[in-house]
Parts: sequence; structure tokens; C-alpha cells
Amino acid sequence: MTKSYIVFGRRITAQLTFAIGMALVFIFSLIPAVGILIISFTDIRSLPFLPVRWVGLENYETFFSSAQIGYNVIALRNTFVFAFAVTIFQNVLALLIAVLLNQRLRGRNFARAAVFLPTILGVTVIGLIFTLLFNPSAGPAQQLWGAFGSSSAFFGDPSLAMTLVIVVQVWSGIGVAVVIYLAGLQAIAPELYEVADIDGATSGQKLRHVTIPLLAPAVTANTLLCIIGALQSYQLIYVLTGPINPATQVLSLAIFTQGFGGAQGGTVQSQGYAAAISMVQFVIVAIVSLLSLAYLRRRETVL
Amino acid sequence: MATTMLRGRRARLTTGLITLAVGTSLALAGCAGGAPATSASVPTDTAAVTGELNVLVSSASGSDAGFKAVNDAFAAKYPDVKVNFTAVPNENYNQARSSRLSAGTIDVGLANPKELPSYVPESNKGDDARLADAGGFVDLTDQAFMKKFNPSVLDKIKYAGRNFTVPTGLSYYSGLTYNKKIFADNNIQIPKTWDEFLAVCQQLKDKGITPISIGGKDTGGIVMLSVVQGLYPTAQNKQDLAKGLYEYTVALNTDKQVEVLQKVQQIYTFGQSNFAGSNYNEMTSQFLNGKAAMISDGTWNVGSLRKAEKQVDFGYFPLPASNNAADNANLGGKVELTLAVPTNAKNKDAAMAWLAFFADNYKLFNDKAGFAPSQEGVEGDPFYAEIAPYTKNFEPAWDTIWIANTKAGQAAALPFNWNAVKPMGSMDAQGAADAAQKDWEAGR
Amino acid sequence: MSTMPIAAVPTSTDATGTPTTETPGPRPESVGTRPNRTLKIVSYVLMGLVILIYLYPLVFLINTALKSNSEFLVDPTGLVRNPQIGNFLKAWEQGNFASYMLNSVFYTVVAATLGTVMSLMIGFPVARGYVKHPKAWMGLFAAMLFLPNTLVTVFQLALRLNLYDTPWGYILIMASGVGVGPLLIAGYLNSIPREIDEAAAMDGSGYLRYLFTFIPRLMMPVLSTAFILQAIGVWNDIILATILFSSKEHWPVTLGLFAFKGTYTSEWTLLSAATMIVAAPLLIVYLFLQRYLVASVVGGAVKG
Repeated sequence: MTKSYIVFGRRITAQLTFAIGMALVFIFSLIPAVGILIISFTDIRSLPFLPVRWVGLENYETFFSSAQIGYNVIALRNTFVFAFAVTIFQNVLALLIAVLLNQRLRGRNFARAAVFLPTILGVTVIGLIFTLLFNPSAGPAQQLWGAFGSSSAFFGDPSLAMTLVIVVQVWSGIGVAVVIYLAGLQAIAPELYEVADIDGATSGQKLRHVTIPLLAPAVTANTLLCIIGALQSYQLIYVLTGPINPATQVLSLAIFTQGFGGAQGGTVQSQGYAAAISMVQFVIVAIVSLLSLAYLRRRETVL
Repeated sequence: MATTMLRGRRARLTTGLITLAVGTSLALAGCAGGAPATSASVPTDTAAVTGELNVLVSSASGSDAGFKAVNDAFAAKYPDVKVNFTAVPNENYNQARSSRLSAGTIDVGLANPKELPSYVPESNKGDDARLADAGGFVDLTDQAFMKKFNPSVLDKIKYAGRNFTVPTGLSYYSGLTYNKKIFADNNIQIPKTWDEFLAVCQQLKDKGITPISIGGKDTGGIVMLSVVQGLYPTAQNKQDLAKGLYEYTVALNTDKQVEVLQKVQQIYTFGQSNFAGSNYNEMTSQFLNGKAAMISDGTWNVGSLRKAEKQVDFGYFPLPASNNAADNANLGGKVELTLAVPTNAKNKDAAMAWLAFFADNYKLFNDKAGFAPSQEGVEGDPFYAEIAPYTKNFEPAWDTIWIANTKAGQAAALPFNWNAVKPMGSMDAQGAADAAQKDWEAGR
Repeated sequence: MSTMPIAAVPTSTDATGTPTTETPGPRPESVGTRPNRTLKIVSYVLMGLVILIYLYPLVFLINTALKSNSEFLVDPTGLVRNPQIGNFLKAWEQGNFASYMLNSVFYTVVAATLGTVMSLMIGFPVARGYVKHPKAWMGLFAAMLFLPNTLVTVFQLALRLNLYDTPWGYILIMASGVGVGPLLIAGYLNSIPREIDEAAAMDGSGYLRYLFTFIPRLMMPVLSTAFILQAIGVWNDIILATILFSSKEHWPVTLGLFAFKGTYTSEWTLLSAATMIVAAPLLIVYLFLQRYLVASVVGGAVKG
């Protein structure tokens, strides 16, 4: 059958509306991104009326220079650990919770709203809540630790800080992932479960052979979103452990402090340098995302 | 045909947009030194002051209340001016100021142009200093209202021999707030030397009282600054240190420099357990509950302490980091919020009038703000009278003198690597100092 | 008019009474289609656990919001002894929330709607092949997800386009951050057969009418998701608002929270009360939109 996709008269309407939509995106998202690339080759500073010079690759050289590379490698390592841990835990837990809350249980709307709450509260307040919860002298967490006979500085402990930050990030991010998984679960035709029931499948088997494969696009979307988000997020880390804590320093946070300054005790470079780090981050995120996407797509078709 | 036409149009649109991007960035680059005249004067006629006045400062409850008092009184005197006062949290301040400067919507803001000593490479010059070089701030030196301020304070904030900023007060932070009752109950005198200090801490620890409450998450650096103050008492000492470091004649992991970190580490042993995770509030509450005898803190907290539910009779003394009592005699501090007028301000007349008004009504401001006064003859909180012996010779704290080398590694940013010392980090003092020296060398 | 039974029926996957399970756990044997009691109990327990994990921190927030600042200084984590309901009123006034709230609602609704419409307008043609090189466009949509943070340059752009300190400038910039919208929409469209397009066209529907009346009914869950994701981003934004708006009358509610954050100490109690005020509208909207997420198209008839 000759596939004629053009069912609505001439293409012009579709292409025009497409162009309008893309124009908005181009002007306000893509052009500024190109702008970042351009300023990464300059020594532009954060204040106006200052002379700006073209410095070519100097900013990139500084990033990879022997003085900074040690620190940047740590930041990169932290970034990856953070991103992957958050992605895996957040998605697995969100999937399980979404399946749980998809059942006909009374009060599940309330549960759904509860899970979604952190998204609405915002980073500053989540930071406050968890700082209180993990207060090293009198907080509930310390009391719990005390029940096991030990104590901890929590966010101040360099070996524990990263783990805790991951826990908080996962906690606050599950809501959005659950929303996406729920939408995906709604789209699975109940007939498929009926068929599985007729074949005598257990609940576990239904989960593995019906639910998860059909959720594959949602899994892909969520995982990708999560990886990208986690690679770029810094606000929670800033609020929980400060801007220059080596134990939890991630690349996106370094960009923020370098570009906008104001961090006590950190060196402030030019905004051109911050743009250069942004581009490095962009390349890293692009590579990681594309690899993940390829992997997930392959698993999708396999399933 | 429709499609080719559209494709062509889209291609042109794309090219056009890319040109816009490049053009934007280049135009941005071209925005160099377009700074207009740098002088202005206070209008003598109150009716001449009209329009809107945009003031942008960073937020703190004391100074916010102080500014509000000034603004209300100002509005009464100059009814034709609308004052738009905005206070933004510290972490967002630089962004807010930077964007408003670009758009020309600040009349009065904060600025801190720091002189670059000769031994520091130009590339380390701060943004505010660069902007002052480019003529971005109005020169206030010859304004009449500047004479109201303490000349020695004005001296400290000069840039290139001129005053571009107005000092709103001083604060000190190389010392310890202490609980007078606990000290009295245990017959403890204020320690004047390092050994005495250690003995006091040990005595308190043995009694089960936390000697020092430290806010590891927020203000852990104050311990280091306090120690530096005792070991390098005068501004000249500090300048010599900085110069020696920059000329690589002095290293961070030898002599007195490593002693700084060693003393920091010793002080850490007297902090509350798990202080690395304590934030500012938690640190203060330990003190207010009588669990800690001292706080490693600055004088800016005086206002909050006075308003707390539980009142503690408190005082302040310099942390005696040296065994020579004379070295420990003075507190190190800084000039708090310094106000400046950008040259692209739209309402310079109102800005000048406002600053003049501020200078005339400084007491109104400082009564709420709680800083150490930057004008002679103005009485601050009685607390400042009490610590007057330590402040009669103002010593600039280390962080106001030190300029970081952007080419060096992060461990040498301060350059004392307190962040890496146990339990804040995972190294001991020597290890942290070695790491700092390595990063410092890398910036050669 | 339409020959296809497109019905929106509230459903969850257990329309026939067979529950989907949460974990392959200790293998409960479900016999045929009878609802399994053990499973139900386990599910309720787990759900209770989830609710606890999410509401317990909230309790802390409320606890803090009820304390006076002087009490908080002395005892940050303990149970409040002297509840100050007045904190909410004080926070409302100090944060000037009345006007900021209206701004936030306006920005969020308009920007998220505009963004979702844009996503639809660019996602549909790509999925259906109305434009050349659909794969390249999809690649671009994906690439847009990891663009570097463009605050600095987008600010300069807004400045030069005279959009600085204007609500529409803010809305346009926010709307253009479509994020995962186009991808979600294009992806979901692949599961809606083209026969529906053809059927609608044969019935005399034009492109725009189809796009904006038929498709949304088919894709409500996905569109709602895209809308919510973008709305959250707009509602919670602090940074763009900080650098774009210099006049307070344009401030969204997130900047109202500035009034409580200081350089050294913040007024945590009022900040907590203020945050709860700020969170309330979005929570209500979410609860309302929940129904749209639950209601979905009967898959069977469409997928065939």
C-alpha cells in the first residue's frame, strides 16, 4: 500500500506551524546555547563594561591543566557516581511504586500526591528539612544511629555525604518518575493481562513479561531524563553540603560557582571559563545520553 | 513549490538566527569600557530629587531592617522619590547585580573593589576591581557626606587611592563568643596565650562541656582565619606572607604555615562531636542551651543572640593562636556591606541624596543592623564598647588581604587547606598542607 | 461522525479485577482471576510505608513552620512547644505573596500551555513525517535536553530584544524550555495508527482542527505529563526570574521566599511557613490534573 502520509490537504499548514514552534525554540533555547559555545572562547567576565578578548582554547586548557585537573577529575567522578546511582535507584523505586499505586487501592490518590510533594516543595526547603532530619546533635537520624550505638556527622562526614545526597535526590525525584510511569501503565491494554491470566501467569510473571516490556518506552524516557537531570543538577548538593565541599563537588556545581562567583574560598574565574566547563559537561552528557539511549533502544526492541 | 519555498525560508531563518547569535556575542564583546563620566554631586534642593531609586543589596535580617528604617525616613524627607529597595540572598546576589548592571537598573548597589598588590598577576584581579578600573563606579571621594565616616575605615576600602564605596559598618570574626556564666562557674579567665587556651579547653572538656561549638557546614573557615590572625597579627605580616607565597619563597607546608593547620586541627578536637555536619543554626543553639562554652563565630550574630528565647550572658575575645600575648591583642575583621553607585545609574541625583541621607542618619541604620559603627561618635550595641580594647587597632582579617591565584589548584584557594583537615576532610594537618602546596606550585 | 469508537474510560489495568503486583516477592500464588487477599494486604502495607516516607519529612516542615524564630534558635529539631499559627499570616505578608502568587500562576499556566502547544506543533509533524528528515529532528529534540545552562546568553538576548523585565519575555523563555515534551509526544504518536488521521481527514477535518481537538483527546495522559513537567519547572524557577526581573511587581512567588533568607542566618520558621503557602496551589492543581492522568483511552479498540 502506498503510504501517503499527507492526509490533510497540502503540507503547508503542518510545516508552517512546525516552523513557528521551532522558531520559538530556536530563538530562546538553541541560539543562546550557541552563544555559550562562543563565549567559552573569550575571557568575558560576569560584569558589563569590561573589555572582552578572544582567547581561543585557553579556557579549555585551564580546565585540563595540571593545577585544575586533579580537582576536576574528582568532580567528574562524583558527577558520574551521583548520576548513575540516582538514575538506577530512582527508576527502579519509581517503577515499583508506580505499579503499586496503579492497583485499585483505597487512598492511592493520596499516596500519589504524597510522592509528588517533594517536586512542589522546591530545593531550598527540601534542603532545610533534611538538614534538620540529619542534624548531628539532636535530629531523628542521629537518634536512630544512636540506637545502633554509633554516631555520625552525616552531611559533614566526607565518606557519607555523597551517599546521603544521593538518597535525598532520589527521594525528591521519584515523584516525577512515578507520574511518567503511571501514564505509561495506563496505556497498557488490560486485555494483555487477561491473556496472561488465561495462560496461568503469576503476578511476578505478569510483571516481568507484560508490564515491563510494554513500559519500555517509559523506562527509556525516564532513564534518559534522569541521567541528564542528574548530570546537570547541583542545587540540592549546594544546599545540603555547600558549594565547595570536595566530597560532593560535581561539575555542574563547579560551573555555577565559577561562573557566578560568590563562593567563599573558591577561586573565581571568568564567565568564559564557566562556559567552557559547560561545554565540557555538554559533551559528556551528550555521550552518556546517546550511549544510554542506544542501549535502552536496543533492549526495547529485544523485548 | 510550497515545500521548497518553505525549506528555503527555513534555511534563511536558520542562517539569520545563527548570525544573530554570533552578532550578539560579538556585540557583547564590543561592549568594552563604554563608561560615562564618573562624578556627580548631591543635589542641594530636595525638590530636585525625583523619580525612582533602585537599591540592591544582599539580604541579612539586621541590615535589611536597618535599610528599611533609613528608607522610611528618606521617603518622608523626599516625597517625590520612590525607593525600590531589593534584598537578595547572598548566593544569588552576584547574578542579580550583574544582570541589573548590564540592564542599567541599579542606582545603589554593593561593591568591593580590592587593590591588587604588585606581586599578584593581573589575571587574578577581581571583577569589581576591573569594573572600577573601567570607570564603572562613581568616585565618591570628594563628596561631603564621606567626611562623616571614620577616616581609618575609609582608608581600608580605598581603591587606587579613591573611595568608590561607602562603609556601612564593621564586623570582627577572629575570636570566640563565650558564655560568661560558664567561665565564672569554673573560675576560668580569658586565655591570652595558646597554651592557656588549650588548658581552658581541656578543663571544659573534662567537665563534660563542649569547649567550642563549630558550624562545620557553614562557617568552618572562621577557625582558620582566627588562627591566622594570631600567627600573623599585623596587616604587614599578612602581606609578607602573601608576597612570599606568590614569589615562592615561602611554602604552605613548612614553618608557620603548616602550624596554622596544626592548630586548626587541635581546635577541631575541642569542637562538638560531629560538628562537620552542624550548620549555623545548630552551632548557635548548642551555645544557647549551655552545652557549649564558646562559639567560633563573628560579631554579626550579636543581634540574633540578643533575641533568642534563652538568654546567655556573652562576651567575645580574640582566639589566642600565638604564645606571645601581644600578638593576640587585636581582633581581625572586615568592613561589612560597602555601597557604591554605578556610573550607568539612571538616577544619580537620587542615589547621591540617598547616600548623603544614609550618612546623616547612620545611627538609625546601625541600631537595627548591629554592626560595629563605621562612624566615630556613633554608639553601637554596648557589646562593641566591651570589646573596644581588642578593636582599637583594626586589623584586617586574612581573607580581606589574600587574593587567590586562579591558576593554582583548588586546595590552595585560601590558601590554607582547612577543608581537608580531619574531621572536615580526611587528612591530617601535614597532609592537607602538602596537598595545598602541591596545588599552589601547579599555578607557577 | 467518527467511525472509530474513541472513548475515554477511566480505567486502571485491573479492570477485570486482576491486580498488577509490585514485586515478585515471596511468590503469592494468584489463582485465576480471583483477587488475592494476601497481595492486597501486602500492597496496603507497602503503600502505607511509602506514604510514611514521604509525609514524615513534611511533618518536620510543619513543625518548623509553627515555631517562633527564637524557639527555633534554641531547639531546631524538637517538637514545637509554643505553636505560632500567626507565622503563616506573617509569612504571607512579609513575602508579599498575594501579588507574587498571581504572577506565578499566570506565568506557569501560560508558559506551560504555550510550551505544550509548541511541543505538539513540532512533535506531531516529525512523528508523522510531514517534514523532511524526521530522524534528524528527533535527534535535535534529544540534543535539546542536554544543552548547557544558557542563563548568561539568554539574558543578553532578552536584553537586546527589549524583553528584559517584561512578563512576556519571561514566559517566552520559559515556554521554549520544552524539555522532553516533543520526544514524549512524538514517541507516543507512534502508537496511534495513521488510520485515525486518515479517518478524521476523510470526515473533513483540517490539520489544525485535528491537531488541537482530536489528538489531545487521544493523548491526554501524555500531554498532561508534558504540561505538568513544564509547569513544575516554571513554578520552581528562581534563577531566571532573579536575573530577568528587576521590578518587584513582576516577581514570581519563588522570589518572595527571598525575604526570609539571610547572609548568615535565615528565618527558617517563616521560610517553612512561606514554602507551605507556595506549595499549596501547585499541589491542588496536581490533584486536579490527576484525574486526567487516570482517564485514558481504551487501548484495545485503538490498537486493534
